[in-house]
Amino acid sequence: MTAIMEAAPPVTSAQPRQSWAAVVALAGFEGRRLLLRVPVLLALAVYAFWIVWHTRDSFDGFPALQDADRSTQGAPLLVALAVMVCVNQSVLRSRRRDTERHFAVLVLQPGRRTAAHVLSVLPATAVVAACVAVQFTWEALKPGAIGTGSPGELLVGPLSVLLFGAIGVLVARLAPSAVAVPLMVVFFLFLFVFGASPALSDDWTRWLYPVVGESSANILPSDLLGRPAAWHALYLAGLALSVALLAVLIGGARKGVAGTALAGALALTVVGGVGQAAGLSDETAAARVRASVTPEKEQTCVERGRSTYCAFPEWTPRVATWAGVVDHVQSLSGGTAKGQQLLVRQRIEARYGLDSDAAVFPLSTPHQVTVGTAWGGNRVPEFSVGVASVLIAGNEKAVGEMCDGRMVTVMWTALAWESDPVAALRRVRLDDSVTGSATVLAPTESLSMTAGQTEVVRQLLEQPRDAVAAKVKARWAELTDPKVTTGRAAQLLGVAVPKGADKCDG
Amino acid sequence: MTPTVSASGLCLRYGGTRALDDVSLRLTQGVTGLLGPNGAGKTTLLRVLATAVPADQGAFTVLGQDPGTARGRQEVRRRLGYLPQTPGFHPDFTAFEFVDYVAILKELTDRGARHREVRRVLDEVDLSDVRGKRIKKLSGGMRQRVALAAALVGDPGFLVLDEPTVGLDPEQRMRFRELIARAGEGRTVLLSTHQTEDVAMLCHRVVVMAAGAVRFDGTPAELTARAAGRVWSSTERDPGAKAGWRTGLGAFRNVGDPPPGADLLEPTLEDGYLLTLDGAGTEVAV
Amino acid sequence: MRRLSGVPAVWRALTPPVCRTVPWRALAAGGALGLLLAGMPRMVDGLNDDFYALNLLRAAALAFALSLAFLLDDPARHTTAAVPTPRPARQALRVALVAPVAALWWTAALLLVPAEVRPPTGDITLEAAATLVLTLAASATALRFAQEAEPGTAVAAGLLLTAALTMVLVPDRWAMFVYMKDEGWAASHDRWAMVLAMAVLVWGVCGPEPLRRRVRPVPSGA
Repeated sequence: MTAIMEAAPPVTSAQPRQSWAAVVALAGFEGRRLLLRVPVLLALAVYAFWIVWHTRDSFDGFPALQDADRSTQGAPLLVALAVMVCVNQSVLRSRRRDTERHFAVLVLQPGRRTAAHVLSVLPATAVVAACVAVQFTWEALKPGAIGTGSPGELLVGPLSVLLFGAIGVLVARLAPSAVAVPLMVVFFLFLFVFGASPALSDDWTRWLYPVVGESSANILPSDLLGRPAAWHALYLAGLALSVALLAVLIGGARKGVAGTALAGALALTVVGGVGQAAGLSDETAAARVRASVTPEKEQTCVERGRSTYCAFPEWTPRVATWAGVVDHVQSLSGGTAKGQQLLVRQRIEARYGLDSDAAVFPLSTPHQVTVGTAWGGNRVPEFSVGVASVLIAGNEKAVGEMCDGRMVTVMWTALAWESDPVAALRRVRLDDSVTGSATVLAPTESLSMTAGQTEVVRQLLEQPRDAVAAKVKARWAELTDPKVTTGRAAQLLGVAVPKGADKCDG
Repeated sequence: MTPTVSASGLCLRYGGTRALDDVSLRLTQGVTGLLGPNGAGKTTLLRVLATAVPADQGAFTVLGQDPGTARGRQEVRRRLGYLPQTPGFHPDFTAFEFVDYVAILKELTDRGARHREVRRVLDEVDLSDVRGKRIKKLSGGMRQRVALAAALVGDPGFLVLDEPTVGLDPEQRMRFRELIARAGEGRTVLLSTHQTEDVAMLCHRVVVMAAGAVRFDGTPAELTARAAGRVWSSTERDPGAKAGWRTGLGAFRNVGDPPPGADLLEPTLEDGYLLTLDGAGTEVAV
Repeated sequence: MRRLSGVPAVWRALTPPVCRTVPWRALAAGGALGLLLAGMPRMVDGLNDDFYALNLLRAAALAFALSLAFLLDDPARHTTAAVPTPRPARQALRVALVAPVAALWWTAALLLVPAEVRPPTGDITLEAAATLVLTLAASATALRFAQEAEPGTAVAAGLLLTAALTMVLVPDRWAMFVYMKDEGWAASHDRWAMVLAMAVLVWGVCGPEPLRRRVRPVPSGA
């Protein structure tokens, strides 16, 4: 406390400009203290730890930056709440320690001291902004990164810290009780954990929360997201400013200046609020329909080897990785499939935006394979299954009806090239099993494997790849005949014939 | 006279600092002053003797009871009044209510007798007029007197006062001295202070502490006598003096080892105190 | 001066002033927020399921615990450092004054949650009791080891931090906040019971004023 008094001396000459210099000096002093408070330090440590732990393998190493920007928003709330509690205690400190009477005679009037407390939140905000920048840059530097982030989304984290810091100061001026802010934290914790969920709010009210999450994991091109990120950032900035100015005003600042500024900040908040509540623009809605129904008009196509790859512009850097998978699968295939020209097209269901995870329907166009917007992790073997099944069944639609011995060849060619094929088999199956019947995921329609097929495929995947490849290529025509049974396929490939094969569910 | 308090070998450490370093002490009826620089361990000694914190080592008895046992401490506290350095209050209580609350905590359960006693001590500290006022509305000096009333309530045989005159104006201090002198009649009072005049005027004994240890224990006259022949007047500041300052009359008053033929002055208690501290002034944080 | 000895007389005389030192306003604020949270399932349609009800009750208990963090704050601590009525007795009196209020409040909170979505009463009450007792134990510990007269603010901040970090950091194996339909529910309540027992133990150890520090000065007679 003595140090606060020491921070004040520059104001003795009482000229307005110098008095603002004193506000800045006091803000710097309080800001440093705030950063060194145990709750803030701990929250920052947990936040930094989370960034490292999360970003190491987030998005399976293939982030779409229009999603990665959103993933920087939630964690700063922990810091924001810690800042709110601590800044509140800082404001109440002089009252609690009964130094209010000493301060009352200082040249630095309560309004300015309140302003200094509000400004003292800035260093913590800057630290969080730096953390957000580090996290996003890390994502952007990953070799598999595509797309573009939005500054509006990136600003949400730091702005939340600012907003909650200002709330902490305001509450200290409104209700000078140490219990008020901790209680608010409980309320806010609850709102954050459950509040922005659809249960509590519909389309526009959820944008009143600082952090607005999405229930879907759907990845869309950045221009189809339809999130009013910039408006929301404006709304948050306006709100933080309004709360801060209200605190300064209640703290005893001159009504005129602060009042005018408050009116301006409120106007900013309202503009942001109205802007974000406007809903989806007609252009975006139309663009979503175009991207879903006639993606060929929006995409750029690239030839790689025998095949053509069509993708939304943001995804063209991924073509090489897709082509790698197609090459692997074709190198294990025989007959015409080996040299088959494929059209790999990226398809999305964007009409429902990020509200739902709508599936993409399978195509009946021959030799056309669908690829999604996500990549990495399980999406790789799933795409591989999609490629192998189209190579063998002819088109995606036919794959869904497939219930015979061809399944063995599809799964083996799709997975045998992986470094750990049995693990890949486990990953493409919905229930993560390697025995019994199961559903197999693919970019469009899922496939189903019977217990017998699973057993045969697993045996084949456990054998040396080149030996099996030779047999597969030699017997390709018979293995890919729609009439082949699983038993027959097992026989042809020289593995034990399972009992009671080929009984597809449904 | 049997000592009210007798302590031997009291030691207490805070981290690596010796706040009390083998303190032995015997207090008898009357006011004993405790002098020492900041951080000398005065407050720590008072807190130990008031049973607010236990010592690490050493033992002491108060009024024949051993505060090292639960029962003994209880007995000691029944006959103890303690004014801490920074007294705290329930700010919404009136002065009367607060002293009454402390009186109940001192097991004065008979309502009528207790209220009479509370009124008596409030009278004694000259707060009768404001006894119905909430403590948060009282001035600093008044609050200090409320705390003193809380220490006096229940007629304790042993009174521990930690810098009671801090923040009081000269008139209030005068009244406080009166009060403490009266309290010392028939009681044992241990008074910690920075004011050597308080000690000179009030105390029959004085203890000087520095760096957690007792440096002097005797009468004020003995402490003053330590400076006999070591205070002199000169026209210039004497470089050989431990301390020297120009008095209002223009001449320098020097304390230390005087040069031959110096113009010796009558020493005060403060001179004796300064010379006692000389060389023992290492500060100890408490 | 005549003293009437006997504990009951002191307690009877002490009850009215101690009652005034209880932070009723903080308790009212915490209690009101708690009841508001517990009443949400009835008020908001989307929250009327057992998952929200469970977590709202937890939030309610936390809100009340936060206000309870201020219960043992005693601005007059130093002035009353050397009175014969021991500190644990004074603290016990405060707790005794608040306990029936807390019990009533919790019953009301439970009743506010519709019966069909209400979590198992015994288990959730155990969680709440452990939270409240842990708060009091933390306050008692703070008073025992620090010279601070009003550690409530720090205790409240610590409690919040503990709650947030328990939610974020504790691995699933040791999870405290489990959904009642998950298999870990019973095991988590063994842990809650342990927390309660530990808190009571800590409170018991830290409540009394110490007679001596590290080194024993004199042979014990107590």
